[in-house]
Amino acid sequence: MNRVLAGLRPRLAASSRRWPAALLMLPAFALLALVFLWPLLQATWLSGQASSLLTGLRPLGNGGANWQRLLGDGRFWQDTTFTLRFALVSVALELLLGLAMALLLHRPGRGGGLLRALTLLPWALPGTVLALGWRWIYQAPYGPLNALIQALGGQPYGFLTTPATTWLFVVLADVWKSTPFVALLLLAGLQAIPAELEESLRLEGASGGQILRRLTLPLLAPWIRLALLFRLAQALGLFDLVQVLTRGGPAGSTESLALYAYLQAMRFLDFGYSATVVVATFLLLLLLTLLGWLLLGLRSGPTAAASPGPELP
Amino acid sequence: MRSLLILWSLAPLLWQLYSSLVTPEALVDPAAVAANHFWTLENYRQLLAATPPFWRYLLNSSLVGGFSTALTLALAVPCAYGLHRQRGGLRWAADALLLAAAMFPTVLLFLSLLQLARALGLGNQLLALSLPYSALNLPLAVLLLRAAFADLPPDLEDAARLEGLNLTARLRHVLLPLLAPALGSTAILVFLFSWNEYPIALTWISRPELLTLPPAIARLAGSSLFTVPYGAFAAATVLGSLPLLLIVLLFQRSIVSGLTQGAIKG
Repeated sequence: MNRVLAGLRPRLAASSRRWPAALLMLPAFALLALVFLWPLLQATWLSGQASSLLTGLRPLGNGGANWQRLLGDGRFWQDTTFTLRFALVSVALELLLGLAMALLLHRPGRGGGLLRALTLLPWALPGTVLALGWRWIYQAPYGPLNALIQALGGQPYGFLTTPATTWLFVVLADVWKSTPFVALLLLAGLQAIPAELEESLRLEGASGGQILRRLTLPLLAPWIRLALLFRLAQALGLFDLVQVLTRGGPAGSTESLALYAYLQAMRFLDFGYSATVVVATFLLLLLLTLLGWLLLGLRSGPTAAASPGPELP
Repeated sequence: MRSLLILWSLAPLLWQLYSSLVTPEALVDPAAVAANHFWTLENYRQLLAATPPFWRYLLNSSLVGGFSTALTLALAVPCAYGLHRQRGGLRWAADALLLAAAMFPTVLLFLSLLQLARALGLGNQLLALSLPYSALNLPLAVLLLRAAFADLPPDLEDAARLEGLNLTARLRHVLLPLLAPALGSTAILVFLFSWNEYPIALTWISRPELLTLPPAIARLAGSSLFTVPYGAFAAATVLGSLPLLLIVLLFQRSIVSGLTQGAIKG
């Protein structure tokens, strides 16, 4: 009996030391629950209620009518299409450009710190500030891009007034802002690769392209995956940029899901339907993240196995 | 290649600087304007003479940023220490939740947070913004600081405990001084994110003199959608970018190490 107790004592001591430590986490997690969890639960509940001017902004259960409306709402599906298209294209471009940028920043040279700081600057600016800036750059007919086109003898182009192409210029502005973030993540990944590995591949006579394919990219895979998931989630929540740059136009062609939810609540004062759009966006995000995780998880298996690690001396 | 990178990063900003310093006529047709009517400071004068003057937004953003940073650190340090001491399931679950929250696009929270603000009477109170801002920044801050705690030699705290120091004394005199670089990067990142936050500031604050920079810029953009006061817009863009340019130049190392450490260990 005594021996059992004696055996228990260290374990008890350890757990009692861990308990006050767990209590230290409480205030932070309480605030997180209030600001993340409660809104998600509240929005889910509200999406089952009619709460608009018609009900005097009081919630009244309406038995899933919001969700039925959502399924038949052409504007919601158009916004979903735009948001997905924007997210996929801009994240793909950001990964490609970010990789190039990271490789460039990784090369030793003078003034690396200053170069990194200047590269980082677009990422550090508030979204609304850069949206206002890009509105002037895209402006027709006096903005600098159109001035350039006209100087070359072309006709001014309505960058922000042509429904078929405006989304591409939203992508460009987002790529300008977000690529530095991807580049920095990938740069950290590059710096974690031991220089000797590259050196020995080079001694075996591998070209720059072969080194990139056989060594750098496989070892960078976890970083690419992280940047991809992070940027994808952020891109699906596109709001600041379109709210100021295009106001969702022209003809609603650049209205993101978050902007639609915002307009439903703040312009049409339909809180119930706004919550429905919010929850639908969240579900879409969850689905895509899981899908990305699964696809990349499966693909990372063979890539990791094909990494040149074991073959090297 | 390097100059191409610098051009890509700076050209849009330099164009704003140029636009903010010339007269409207020079913006529209530079060739037709006399040299003495080309450059002007009128755009800046206008912004600074408006009600409220533009610097007020910068001040508001700085206040919210500073207060949010202090609150975030005050909550994140104990939480990170507590998490660092956990093992097994609780730690795994807390890590997963924090990572998910760090990735979450926070704009999706605006609707319920607006109702929370109404219920608690937090609308139009500048510093009340620090409440959601701290929460939004906590996941990254906790993950960064937990990684920094894990990097400290484990014997250090045991030695301090044997000396009879209690938890508060151990944190204050032994652990936190060694954590200074990580605390610095965390603080800068939290300040940046709080300074730049838009949807919540947009919905919580409506009185012009309380606006932070991002909604103030958006309001300026919306005020004259179809005329062309682009000189004034450009001047606002420049003034709104300058503090961040300063921060990035001064703290580039901390920002980079914060972002990448969070990624490595988070």
